[in-house]
Amino acid sequence: MPYLSEIQHRNVLEPSGNVAGRLADVVVLPKEQFPAVQWAVLAAPGGEKVIPWSELIAEVSHFRLRTAPAGIRAATLPPEALRLGRDLLDKQIVDTHGAKVVRVNDLQLEETAGQLRLVGADVGLRGLLRRIGAEGTAERMAGMVGRKLPRGIIPWHLVEPLEAPESSVRLTVPSAKLALLHPADLADVVEEMSADDRRAVFEQLDLETAAEALSEVEPEMQASIVADLDEQRAADLLEEMAPDEATDLLQDLPEERREELIELMQDEEGGDVEELLAYHEDSAGGMMTTDFVALPRDLSAGAAIDRLRELKPDPELAYYLYVVDGEGRLDGVVSLRDLVVADPATPLVDMVDPQVLKVEPQTPKEEVASLMAKYDLLALPVVDARRTLLGAVTVDDVIELILPRGWKKRSTRPVAR
Amino acid sequence: MLGPGLISGFADNDAGGITTYSLAGTQFGYGLMWALLVTAVALGITQELGARLGLGTGQGLGGLIRERFGVRWTAFAVLTMLAANLGTTVAEFAGIATALGLFGVPVQASAILAALFIVVLLGRGSFGRIQYGFVAVGIAVSVAYAASAVLARPDWGHALTSLVVPGIQPSGAYLLALVGVVGTTITPWGQAFIQSYIVDKGLGPGDLTPSRIDVGLGALLTNLVAGFIVVACAATLWTNGLPINDAAGAATALGPLAGTSATVLFGVGLLAASLLGLGTVPLTSAYFACEAFGWESGVHWRWQQAPVFYGLLSFFVGFAALFVLIPGLPLFPVMFLAQVFNGLLLPIILVFVMLVSRDRRLGPLRGGPVLEALGWLVTLLVSVMSVGFMVTLLLGFSG
Repeated sequence: MPYLSEIQHRNVLEPSGNVAGRLADVVVLPKEQFPAVQWAVLAAPGGEKVIPWSELIAEVSHFRLRTAPAGIRAATLPPEALRLGRDLLDKQIVDTHGAKVVRVNDLQLEETAGQLRLVGADVGLRGLLRRIGAEGTAERMAGMVGRKLPRGIIPWHLVEPLEAPESSVRLTVPSAKLALLHPADLADVVEEMSADDRRAVFEQLDLETAAEALSEVEPEMQASIVADLDEQRAADLLEEMAPDEATDLLQDLPEERREELIELMQDEEGGDVEELLAYHEDSAGGMMTTDFVALPRDLSAGAAIDRLRELKPDPELAYYLYVVDGEGRLDGVVSLRDLVVADPATPLVDMVDPQVLKVEPQTPKEEVASLMAKYDLLALPVVDARRTLLGAVTVDDVIELILPRGWKKRSTRPVAR
Repeated sequence: MLGPGLISGFADNDAGGITTYSLAGTQFGYGLMWALLVTAVALGITQELGARLGLGTGQGLGGLIRERFGVRWTAFAVLTMLAANLGTTVAEFAGIATALGLFGVPVQASAILAALFIVVLLGRGSFGRIQYGFVAVGIAVSVAYAASAVLARPDWGHALTSLVVPGIQPSGAYLLALVGVVGTTITPWGQAFIQSYIVDKGLGPGDLTPSRIDVGLGALLTNLVAGFIVVACAATLWTNGLPINDAAGAATALGPLAGTSATVLFGVGLLAASLLGLGTVPLTSAYFACEAFGWESGVHWRWQQAPVFYGLLSFFVGFAALFVLIPGLPLFPVMFLAQVFNGLLLPIILVFVMLVSRDRRLGPLRGGPVLEALGWLVTLLVSVMSVGFMVTLLLGFSG
C-alpha cells in the first residue's frame, strides 16, 4: 500500500526507457467512498500534462508509460477533481469520527481489483517522518527501545476536506458528514475553521442543527459568526436558539446590530429576548430562559399531560412544571413524576408543592449556582417582587458557569448520531 | 478593549526592549532616533500583513507556511521561530532576575520563582486576566520614562531632528545597537502572535478596520515609549558620558523623576515587562509549532492530550531558567544580545510572511500592491541589515 509521498515526484519513463517527466500529482474524483485514482499529472519539460492513470505501469522505483507520450491525448480535469498533492497534502480536513480539524501529513492509497484508490489520510507522526525521509530511521530507533511508532490514519470515508485554496472550486459544502456530528462536536470543529468556512457551515446546515451548534460555540466566537452571517439567516438562528442563549449572544454584539436582529426576529422570540436583555448578564435574570412550562392551577393532571404533549418542552424544562394563578403568580411546583402517577382527574392545585425554592432576577449567578448545587435542582424559577413567574434558570447554564473555562473541550469522545 | 496589536506592542517593550533602548540612548544619544521612526512604520506594516493573514484565512502563520511549503520548509521555519523565541525567553528570565536582583534576590531564587510563576499561571489558564495588570504597570513605567525624559531637560530640537536625520555612525557597535533595536521591535514571535490571537478570537474579514487601528496604535505606542526611553537615557547618561553596564546604571535614567527611588521604579517596570513577555512568548512558540505540524495545542488540554504542546512550553521555561543560572553570566548583556539574535533571524520569518501573503483565500483582504511593496521593502532592509552585520562580524570589525 503506497503513500502519496512515496510515489509523488517519481520518474515517469517512456516505453523506450527515456525519462518523460516526473509524476507531479495524482487526481481523484471525490464521489465514491474510496475514490479511484483517475488521472496523473505529469511534469514534463514542456509543462504539466494530465493523462489517464491507466497509461501508467508501476515499476520498482518509477512508472513507465504504456505508449509514447506523443500518442497520449491530454485530458482536462473536471472542476470537482481533487489533486491530492495540491489540494489535500498539508491542508486541514475534518476528522468526522474524532470530530476535530486535523492536518494531512500523507495520503494512503491502496490497489484493489486493479484500481488504485484513496483509502485514508495519514495525520500521525509517521506521516510527518515519512515526508522528511526519516520514517525508517525513527522506526528502528523506536524498535531498539521496544516501542512501535503509532499509526494515525483516518479512513477516507470519515474525512471531510475543508477547502482547496489553489483550486478554482470551493469544496466546502458542509455535506451530510458534518451534519451527522453532534451539535456540541460540530461546535468544536467549527471553532477550528476559518471565518469563511464557518459562515458556509452556518448558512448551509439545517436551521435546528445550526442553532444547536451555535449555542455550543465559545461566546466570543458566536458574536463574530453572527456578525458575518446574512441578517435574515442570523435572525432565524437566534429564534431557533433558547431565549437565554440568544440573549447572551446578542449581548456581545454592537447595539445597532443587536437591534436590527431583534427587529428581524419573530415578535414572540424577539420580545422574549428584549425582556431578557434588560437584566444584568451575571444575575438570575440574565441566565434564565422564558421557555419554562407554566400551568394554570385549575387544570387537571390529565389535561396537564396533554398540554405537555403540545408544548414539547426541552428536557431540562420538562421535569419541573410551575403552577400559576390567574395572574401568573407562582403557586408552586409539580414534578413530572407526580403528574404521571396522579389520577388524571386531580386538579393541579391539589398536588402542588407550595414550598418551591425561587430567586429574584437580581440574585447573583453564584448564589443561583450554589442553591441549585445544594438542593440538587434541575431548574430554579425566577419571580419578581409580586411573585409573578418570569423565567427559569436551568442546570445546563449553571454547569457552564461552574466548569472551568476550556474543560468542555477536553472531552475527546465525540458522540455518534 | 486591548487588541493583539496593543498587547504585543507592550510586550515588545519587555526586558530586552527596555535594555536595548537604554543602551541605544546611552551609547549613541539621539543617534538611533531615526531607527525608531522607521521601525515603527515597519512594525505597522508587518503586523498589518499578519493581521490580514489571520482574518482572511483563519489560520496561524505556522499553518499557512505548512500549506504552502510542505513539511521540510515548515520544519525550517519552526526551528527558526523556536530558536529566536528561546532567545527572547532567556531574555525575559534574565529580566526577571535582574529586576529582582535590584531588590537583593539571588538569581537562583529568581529563576525558580519565575518558572513556578509562569507554570502556575499558564496551568490555571488565568494569564489572560493577569496580563492586564502587567500592561497597566507597563503603562505606568512608560509614563515614568516620559516624565523623566521631560524633567531631564533634553535638547528637544536635537531629539526631534534626529528622528528624520539619520545619525548613522560607521562602527560595529552602532550596527550592533541598530540590529538590537530592530530585533526587539519587529520580532518573529510578534508576527506569530498577532495572527494566532486573531484566529483564536475567531475574528473574520469584517474586523479588518478595528484590527488595523489596533496594530497601528500598537506600533505607534511601542515606539513612542521606546523614544522616551532613548531620550531619557540620552539626556541623563549620554550627555554626562556615563556608560551603563548593569540595571542599576540603566535605572539612573529615571532619576529626574524618581530621584533615589529610580531603582525601585526601574525594577518594578522591568519585572512587569518581563512577566508580560514571559506569559506571551513561550505560548506563542508552542502554538506556532503545533499548528504547523497538526498537534493539539492550547491550555485547555490535559498533558496526555497535548504532549508536544506542554513539552515545548516546559522546554522553553526549563531551558531559560537553567540558562540564567550559568555561573557568572552577565545578565544585562544577555538581554540585549537576545534582541540582536532575534534581529538576525527576523528576515527568514518575514520572507515566509511575505510569501504566504499571496494566498488566494485572502481575497479582498490581501493587501494592495503598496502594502505588498512596503512589506518587501521592510524585508529587504532587514535582510541587508542582518547580512551586513554578519559580514562585519566575520570580518572582525565588530569591536
